[in-house]
Amino acid sequence: MQAPQDYFSLFSLERRFAIDKKALSARFRDLQSESHPDKVAAADEQTKLLAVQQSSLLNDAYATLKSPLARAGYLLQLHGVDVEGVSQTDLDMAVLMEQMELRETVADAPAGEAGLAVLAPIKQDIGNRIVEREERFVAGLEAMDLPGAKRVFHELQFLHKLFQEIEVSEERRLGF
Amino acid sequence: MALLQIQEPGGKPARPKHRLAVGIDLGTTNSLVAARCGLKVETLPDEAGAHLLPSVVHYSREGAVLVGKQAKAYALTDAPNTLVSAKRMLGKGLSELRQLGHYLPYEFDASRDDKAPAVITRAGSKDPVAVSADILAALKTRAESALKGQLEGAVITVPAYFNDAQRQQTKEAAALAGLNVLRLLNEPTAAAVAYGLDSADQGNIVVFDLGGGTFDVSLLSLTRGVFEVLSTGGDTNLGGDDFDRLLASWLVEQCGDASFNEGEAQQLANELKHQLSDLDCVDFVIGDYQGSLSREQFAEIAKEPLARAMMICRRSLRDARLELDDIDNVILVGGSTRMPLVRAAVESFFGREPLTSIDPDRVVAVGAGIQADVLIGNKSDTDFLLLDVTPLSLGIETMGELVEKIIPRNTTIPVSRAQEFTTFKDGQTAMALHVMQGEREAVADCRSLARFTLRGIPGMVAGAAKIRVTFQVDADGLLSVSAEETLTGAKSEIQVKPSYGLEADTIESMLQSSQENARADMELRSLQEAKVDAIQLIDAVAAAVLADPQLLEEGEQQKINEGVAALAAALETGSSTQVSDLTAALNKISGDFAARRMDEHIARALQGESI
Repeated sequence: MQAPQDYFSLFSLERRFAIDKKALSARFRDLQSESHPDKVAAADEQTKLLAVQQSSLLNDAYATLKSPLARAGYLLQLHGVDVEGVSQTDLDMAVLMEQMELRETVADAPAGEAGLAVLAPIKQDIGNRIVEREERFVAGLEAMDLPGAKRVFHELQFLHKLFQEIEVSEERRLGF
Repeated sequence: MALLQIQEPGGKPARPKHRLAVGIDLGTTNSLVAARCGLKVETLPDEAGAHLLPSVVHYSREGAVLVGKQAKAYALTDAPNTLVSAKRMLGKGLSELRQLGHYLPYEFDASRDDKAPAVITRAGSKDPVAVSADILAALKTRAESALKGQLEGAVITVPAYFNDAQRQQTKEAAALAGLNVLRLLNEPTAAAVAYGLDSADQGNIVVFDLGGGTFDVSLLSLTRGVFEVLSTGGDTNLGGDDFDRLLASWLVEQCGDASFNEGEAQQLANELKHQLSDLDCVDFVIGDYQGSLSREQFAEIAKEPLARAMMICRRSLRDARLELDDIDNVILVGGSTRMPLVRAAVESFFGREPLTSIDPDRVVAVGAGIQADVLIGNKSDTDFLLLDVTPLSLGIETMGELVEKIIPRNTTIPVSRAQEFTTFKDGQTAMALHVMQGEREAVADCRSLARFTLRGIPGMVAGAAKIRVTFQVDADGLLSVSAEETLTGAKSEIQVKPSYGLEADTIESMLQSSQENARADMELRSLQEAKVDAIQLIDAVAAAVLADPQLLEEGEQQKINEGVAALAAALETGSSTQVSDLTAALNKISGDFAARRMDEHIARALQGESI
């Protein structure tokens, strides 16, 4: 299978960061209604295989566009930016310091359910920082400042990772 | 010959006649079969009018295999030859089973690997796959006599939380019973289908499914006929049996009678549990001991499993990123949700009265029957689609005995994901891959699904080779993994069969022995099945050639024609093996052409054309 390059057009969306999530979901459901293996469950193996591949591709495309972080990375890839590799020059010192400080506040939260009240505002704070970075990402991309947009993307990766880690530590406190 | 059977995305293949397909709920305690009868999909009763088939198999002195109520009668008097709750044993090792504390009055076959336990009965060693196959065969017979015809396909339900090993073994059992599995369907999804089609067509649905041995909770959103599973959680070792077991040990404790055995205690506990669904308090007698049990006492005894179920609900909500307010409907599934204490707990947690208009014992089978009818191609007025998810994360072992997740849990299936790895030693020419399933980071805490080795990596410095590992999960939730060294194209792949599951040739030999015993019509059936496949393929190839002749390479049309002609001839006079072999051959001949069509379709889809 050739590497497909535009998930946005697959869902009839404009190629940009801000998307209409409802339109995305609706288009996804319509496309799956046509391509899903369940539509050909009683057919021959080749037809079924075709359906599995198309349906997998749609699921992947949908997951990529649905997640803001994955969508940002995908936009960079469409501009020919390699988002896998992160080098020292991609991040500046201030960002690393910010990360360390945030991590320390998370680590300092008390164990057990008492920690939940401490974690909630940190999560809120990180959420705000994510929104602020997303705006900068969009601006960078519009100005075609690709190295700048890549830098912000990596900052977003850090923030999302931290957000997930907080969720895991919340779950531990909830006894999951 | 119908020439346009290939699914042109968007096109509707013509299906002439009603084809027989059933939905089967293969339960821990009871099993059911449902099919379309006229306008409605209903569960099918046996000759005595009973819909539930107890999931019990007895191997009798006379050499008969009894399934259901008749078998259940021997559960106490001839326990070693009577298998109950075989579903609980699917995909598990013997030490794991013993650890789980189930009541196991069996002699296990010592010659078997701990990972693949089998019970010694007078009819020989029986593993859970063989026992499940006996139950499925009984349901198949019931359906074929009720519907007066041969089944062409079945949808079999599994708990959403079943892992890959448990799914594989369910499919193996169906193959042994001679069923053509159209789809393994998650039980909660089936229940949502049964309700979804006659209730609101929009909203978020919780399916709370507490069966005899398993617990599942799924959150789905329904939008214009598309069911999308948002999250699924559960515990394959939590069910009504746990309530029985706890109540049984309480009874033993209360009466202090050492001669009161575990089996009797379980049976009494089960009876009392059922009585408490209608009464606030029940009296009981054990030997000389007289006692009573109230709903409050029972709630106290059953506190632990109930709390565990509610915790799983909280987690599923969180996974789906939903709040309690976002929930529009709660559906109860499974006989154990008849217990008033369970209903009360669900109602208080979700803050709304659950839907119970469809019998909680039958709702899963009905949903599976609806899906089977749609999948086999019978046109129905209600067109719908299910988008299900992987219940557990799938990954690969990396350095330091850690698991790198490749497909996280709750990813919509089918799915294909790839990740690149590299060598860690200079001159390394092979790489061992260990496929894992589970949520934890350490290898020891996850389930090992398979191991395989990629060979033929060119010797390079450490870190230079690029090995691309691809995980694919199909619409049944079954995994296959492939690895490829991207510079040389060295390749290796595996269809993940649990390391303790049945090997294909074991199934083959089991099939043969069952053939010799009682199923003399096997050749006939497999010939018919092979013919169906062959005709479908011929139709599909013909349609493909008509649709995209420009994609044919020189001489390819000729080869395809020859393949079709050979297969068509075998359809007239050939054996099932000949038909199958020629079908496989034609598949191969037309494979490249099909692959080019696939690329073309995907490319077109990506260019924004409607597919």
